[in-house]
Amino acid sequence: MKKRIDWGYLASLSLSVVLALLVGAAIMAVTGHDPIAAYRELVKGATGCQRLSDVLHLFAKRQFGNTIEYAMVLFLTGLACAIGARVGIFNVGGEGQLYLGAIVSAYIGAKMAGSSAWIVIPLAALGAMAAGGFYAWIPGVLKVKLKVNEVITTIMMNTIAIYFCAYLSNGPWKTTQGNRVSGTDTLAANLQFTRLIKGSNLTTAIFASAVIAFLVWYVMAKTTKGYEMKLIGENPRFARYSGLKVDRTIITTMVISGAICGLVGMFEVYGLKGNYQDGISNEYYFDGLLVAMIMRYQPVGIIAMSFAFAFLKVGAAGMELNAGVPGELYRIIQAVIIFFLAAERGVKAILAGKMKGGARHG
Amino acid sequence: MGNIFTVGLFRQMLRSATPVALAALGGLMTEHAGIMNIGMDGMILLGAFTAVAVSIVTGSAFAGTLAAILVGILVGLFFALFVVKFKSDEFIIGTALNIFAGGLTTFLLWAIFGVRGTIRTQAGLPTVNLGIIGKIPFLGEILSGNSLFVYLTVGLVILMWALVYRTPLGFWIRASGEHPATLRTAGISPERMKWLSSTLCGAFCGLAGAQLALGNVTMFSEGMSNSRGYVAFACVIFGGANPVKAYLAALMFGFFDALGYRLQEYNISANLTSMIPYVITVCMMVYVVVRGSRKKAKV
Repeated sequence: MKKRIDWGYLASLSLSVVLALLVGAAIMAVTGHDPIAAYRELVKGATGCQRLSDVLHLFAKRQFGNTIEYAMVLFLTGLACAIGARVGIFNVGGEGQLYLGAIVSAYIGAKMAGSSAWIVIPLAALGAMAAGGFYAWIPGVLKVKLKVNEVITTIMMNTIAIYFCAYLSNGPWKTTQGNRVSGTDTLAANLQFTRLIKGSNLTTAIFASAVIAFLVWYVMAKTTKGYEMKLIGENPRFARYSGLKVDRTIITTMVISGAICGLVGMFEVYGLKGNYQDGISNEYYFDGLLVAMIMRYQPVGIIAMSFAFAFLKVGAAGMELNAGVPGELYRIIQAVIIFFLAAERGVKAILAGKMKGGARHG
Repeated sequence: MGNIFTVGLFRQMLRSATPVALAALGGLMTEHAGIMNIGMDGMILLGAFTAVAVSIVTGSAFAGTLAAILVGILVGLFFALFVVKFKSDEFIIGTALNIFAGGLTTFLLWAIFGVRGTIRTQAGLPTVNLGIIGKIPFLGEILSGNSLFVYLTVGLVILMWALVYRTPLGFWIRASGEHPATLRTAGISPERMKWLSSTLCGAFCGLAGAQLALGNVTMFSEGMSNSRGYVAFACVIFGGANPVKAYLAALMFGFFDALGYRLQEYNISANLTSMIPYVITVCMMVYVVVRGSRKKAKV
């Protein structure tokens, strides 16, 4: 029986996060910023709370809504990455899948303006999932059937998708409304998701996301299918001998991973932007990928960590605005957390090896 | 409609290919040493930023290039510390390195220069005139007057080929990837070879960044490596980690990149033509695997 919570890892993780925040502070200090003031702005930027008493009104704060919304993006993309990793395929192409999902859903919404939301939204969701899923199916098949390295193909396909969407939104699918230079038509008001906190990015998409997250966790942790996935990821040859349909499971998982990313793209269009525009995702998928890596592809951990990283990212925007510290700092901190975790693990392994070696010689 | 295959097209091919070829020269060292180096893109980006930043401060493109190589070496050492010493997952460290490089360069661009997006520098790497060769119609026009590293890269390709296949050191590096246990029996540390190859890779990627930012253009812009590190990786795989073949693969990437620019003159959307080299790279990756499995089937 496996331990439910790996306390040792949790301790290393906490230490790494604290150290990474210190590195962030050091970088700020070196570049002439006041780290304490900046981190205070970060907390304010992520929660909208200036004083402790403001916490009572947390659920009315615009910034808090934005944080929850970005946590949603992170756990969806993070889980999309994790299910792939579970069966041993790294979907690094979520960014492209997200873009395609966004533009296809935006196109469906624009073409069906005037129809009931009950028809358009399911169709748009299906369209987004199909687009993302198909785009993940390609590298999935290439990996399984031909053994083509999926990391390189998916990375290339990100670039291709982003250019292709830019072509569509500046060309054939460009809006005719107003004098806008690019982007698709703005969706009719009845199609756009309802904002749960006024002025924030948080929309009803969070409920759908919660269901998806629950399903992913349930399948991975509680079903035979989830166990098979793990088996396939850990030892594909053994899984094959045991009669599991290894190839099919890997491809299906990849398609689901892409479909989730496509859906995230749709949420951005129907929830946030109201249409497809260039740069609709600012490397969101890579943020999710980092969360998944840091949490070692464990679903519950990913969901929890997504809130922490969303806090960091949304807070960093406030920090940029009010303390003049470039918001990109959060990306540095994220990467540094990974370096610390890896270093700690490496040092431990080396020490353990030395102790073993020493015992043998002594 | 004029001829597509103009002098300009082939000059652009050399321009586009050179940074990729330089990075690929580094990438094939780590490839030989058995390290899957996904982090080259970040190394190039850090090199490009350093080159521009130092060239602005010193006014010298050569100082910028040298600094880029030094930073590349440091990043290569950093990468080796994790991948070789700590035995971390290469994929995770490489990805983290790329994201770190993207964040740090954007951060520093603002923190140091107060700029978002793009910064220009006055200093650029010189071009080389080949004199009489430049007088030859077409071929001479293509070959003469290019940026310095367009020529030096060809020399480096030959040098690296000789190093990898004709020296004991190259043999050891290859053995450190293929037969580390045997190499150790021979009294040579495979880890040391991996450290060396990773450091060399960093130096080459730093140089690639410098060429990208000071040779092809004279500026740094956010994310300007634009997946070239991954393209370089694909070139290494495509060329079977052979410097000459990897260089030819880089030339092919350069050709399609240039073709994309050229097609824009026929009123084809830049967004469509920019896709071409990346589509070709995917095709290259598929082709090399299919070819490999055919060869295996024959044997």
